[in-house]
Amino acid sequence: MGSYRRIDCIFFSEFHPTLGPKITYQVPEEYISRELFDTVQVYIITKPELQNKLITVTAMEKKLIGCPVCIEHKKYSRNALLFNLGLVCDARTKTCALEPIVKKLSGYLTTLELESGFISNEESKQKLLPILSTLLEELNVTGACTLPIDDSNTIHLKLIEQRKDPLVVQEYDVPVFTKNKDHFIKSQWDLTTQQILPFVDGYRHIQKISAEADVELNLVRIAVQNLLYYEVVTLVSIFQYSNVYCTTPKVQNLIDKKCLQEECIHYVSKLGQRTNLRDVFQLYCGLTPGTTVRDLCSRYSHQLQRVDERKLIQFGLMKGLIRRLQKYPVKVVRDERSRPPRLYTGCHSYDEICCKTGMSYKELDERLENDPNIVVCWK
Amino acid sequence: MYKQWSVDLNADAKLMWKQSESSLQPNGEKTSPISVILVSSGSRGNKLLFRYPFQRVSENTSSATSKQRSPYALNTSGDSIEDQDGDSREQTPLTDEQLVAGFSDIILATILATKSDMCGKKFELKIDNVRFVGHPTLLQPPHTIQANADASVINCMHNLSRRIAIALQHEERRCQYLTREAKLMLAVQDEVTTMTETDGTPQSPFRQILPKCKLARDLKEAYDSLCTTGVVRLHINNWLEVSFCLPHKIHRVGGKHIPPEALERSLKAIRPYHALLLLDNEKALLAQLPLDCSPALVRLIKTCSAVKNLQQLAQDADLALLQVFQIAAHLVYWGKAIIIYPLCENNVYMLSPHANICIYSPLAEQFGLQFPGHDLPSMLAKFSLPVSLSEFRNPLDAPVHEAQLIQMVVWMLQRRLLFQLHTYVCLLVPPVEEEPGLREEEPPLVTRVTGRSLSTPSALSFGSPTSSDDMTLTSPSMDNSSAELQTGGDSPLNKRMTETLLASLTEHERQAILRVPAAQNPEDLRLFARLLHYFRGHHHLEEIMYNENMRRSQLKTLFDKFRSVLVITNHEDPIISLFQSPPD
Repeated sequence: MGSYRRIDCIFFSEFHPTLGPKITYQVPEEYISRELFDTVQVYIITKPELQNKLITVTAMEKKLIGCPVCIEHKKYSRNALLFNLGLVCDARTKTCALEPIVKKLSGYLTTLELESGFISNEESKQKLLPILSTLLEELNVTGACTLPIDDSNTIHLKLIEQRKDPLVVQEYDVPVFTKNKDHFIKSQWDLTTQQILPFVDGYRHIQKISAEADVELNLVRIAVQNLLYYEVVTLVSIFQYSNVYCTTPKVQNLIDKKCLQEECIHYVSKLGQRTNLRDVFQLYCGLTPGTTVRDLCSRYSHQLQRVDERKLIQFGLMKGLIRRLQKYPVKVVRDERSRPPRLYTGCHSYDEICCKTGMSYKELDERLENDPNIVVCWK
Repeated sequence: MYKQWSVDLNADAKLMWKQSESSLQPNGEKTSPISVILVSSGSRGNKLLFRYPFQRVSENTSSATSKQRSPYALNTSGDSIEDQDGDSREQTPLTDEQLVAGFSDIILATILATKSDMCGKKFELKIDNVRFVGHPTLLQPPHTIQANADASVINCMHNLSRRIAIALQHEERRCQYLTREAKLMLAVQDEVTTMTETDGTPQSPFRQILPKCKLARDLKEAYDSLCTTGVVRLHINNWLEVSFCLPHKIHRVGGKHIPPEALERSLKAIRPYHALLLLDNEKALLAQLPLDCSPALVRLIKTCSAVKNLQQLAQDADLALLQVFQIAAHLVYWGKAIIIYPLCENNVYMLSPHANICIYSPLAEQFGLQFPGHDLPSMLAKFSLPVSLSEFRNPLDAPVHEAQLIQMVVWMLQRRLLFQLHTYVCLLVPPVEEEPGLREEEPPLVTRVTGRSLSTPSALSFGSPTSSDDMTLTSPSMDNSSAELQTGGDSPLNKRMTETLLASLTEHERQAILRVPAAQNPEDLRLFARLLHYFRGHHHLEEIMYNENMRRSQLKTLFDKFRSVLVITNHEDPIISLFQSPPD
């Protein structure tokens, strides 16, 4: 709940049979100036085409979000009841997360009116003022609000964080927990996720998890994507001693950020041991194009006495200190008669090809080494 | 029979861009407008003057498909708010047309014709999945853009709105241009309405407006350009030029756009030793410039080269360095150039992780045409391991091959297939645990990292901003050059300077450095101490060379001598790597 999503005011506006569009209640009082309302009223109490739409209008340094409602019935003067319960924020606020709240509120009020004339009845309408107050306070402080209105209706609202769409999960990706797995109450997750959780160890890739947990591949993919969305896991690549990595500019973060240093040393040290910053940094810097992890192990055996190389690589990938260099075979020469290459186009890495065809790296290497028409790019 | 419509001189006109919010459209779509709309409001009411693309009028029921809607129907189904669960199921996205069709001409005229007190400021209105952005002013056109778009995209669209608006306002004052165009538009609309009434076949009035009305054509062109290249160049009334670029469209690497703020930050960090690499050839670029462009720009384009750094460029083009920086930033912003380190044989290049190495890519084809007999994947494979240009060359090759090689490297750099690796150095002394009793507590200096434990040596950390500000943009820091300290030998002055420079280290670090055999040589120690502030992993070799006026071999020798307290790594320069790949 950041202050950047602060709601400055909640208002209830309606079309009065004689006075026209007006603000009946607003919390805090007098927040919306006469001038502001005049400017935007056409977007608050609207023509029929705009009703039931989420409308956000920006004016005079403020953003107003509302959803105009129209309920038609003979019993109303002018045969229709028009109202709008909206929020006011600063113009720079990112208000996407507030939109579902507004929509839900308009739904609640509509239901209340249809069931018991909550709004058209002058007496019950007055209850709106304390309701608006409570809403404003609770949404700003906790981001959630549960408010019983009458015997049969309770308002439940929650501000949901907007997140980026997660990456597509490939079968050769390896999910690794960013937080300690044990911190989660497993029973809160769905069944599929619970079933695969024991196999998410930061080393098994999606295909392997699917096989060992006996869960269909696509279900595993979706479950992991869900975990990715909530930033509970991140994806790294399959670990092999033949892998090649190199440093990124972010490796300097290890020097600049004390907390990262601590986290790293804690993560990569062997059980019961504690390594030091120089050794770890030397190891990361020892990862260069052309150097395999196996090479690293033989060159830096002293530093690796206290470091688990698999954890070292894992941490480096998770924090973006290093990146994996993948091999991409490309068929460059072919005669007219042969089929166009399907996998050796430069678009598919060894990881992907091996996963899809079931070959091991060694087998693929042997196959391609002797083919003069194929070059291999690393990137 | 035509009704005469007149547009008041005091009327408001708005040109609106409309964009959809659908997050299911591919990324490119979020930066394109759905539609451009021109609305006027005055004493005679609100009127929609023009919109593009045209709304498709529903066909006769006999040929209607289930998706056809009457232009006046509201679009209610399928307007799902973006899926917050990140569900990757494919939903049928609403076509832009359907979204636009949901807003009739009349309703658009009503909602977009704002009150006069909203004039002169950015106007932003979001209705469900559609966002309108514009700049209503007296006689000024607004735009509408996507609800889901980045705030910076919105700002850019608003910017374009405003520019067109300013041009229109100017032309209106000068020769009532907008009034005339608006009259034309309304007249045509009227004609079409009359014809529809008599013929019975519905037609879009806006289609008829296009051939008759220059402003409509300009608006259509702006829309089309924004959707494709992201570069807009119009001549309002064939007179005033309005040019604009949407950086989000231009700066796309690896499928993601580079946000303008990141771009601007990088541009501010450019140094005089960087070079400007044009992305087009000189002739093509010069042809694109407007007639009244600055002669400095022309001179710069003619003089720049991949082997020349900005400082040399300033001298050769007879411009101030600051001016060169500004023009360079301008060219980069417009997607016409990128910043690199000047080409030289010691440069080490590697394949960029974002490079498209597919044999079917258009790049592969272009490469084959440009350099017959060579194919791109084979060339790229050679850069799989970092390779310097000097290693790459075959000394037995004819000079023409070498020239071609340079051309190929430049070609690949322009298409962001390669990036350059630089060497970065970091001071990290071995830890103390081997000698537990010797550590002395030092009063912590403000610039040091605090709270170290016994067994963890701290890396040298210069948190204070002033030390890094020595690297000024405008001139190499001659103060730190070797000139002063060349008095040689063990003079007390020199010794004291060395001591001062080493004073900011901890006792443990100082001891470790002094234990290095090379530290016995006062010259070496002095040099090391002087360069100490570069050894925190943020300054690459070439920068040290430039700032300190030193040769590469000198530095490399020094690093070698002190390797027991230094850690060296190679990676791309984060400042200019922005141009190679987008930030995370």
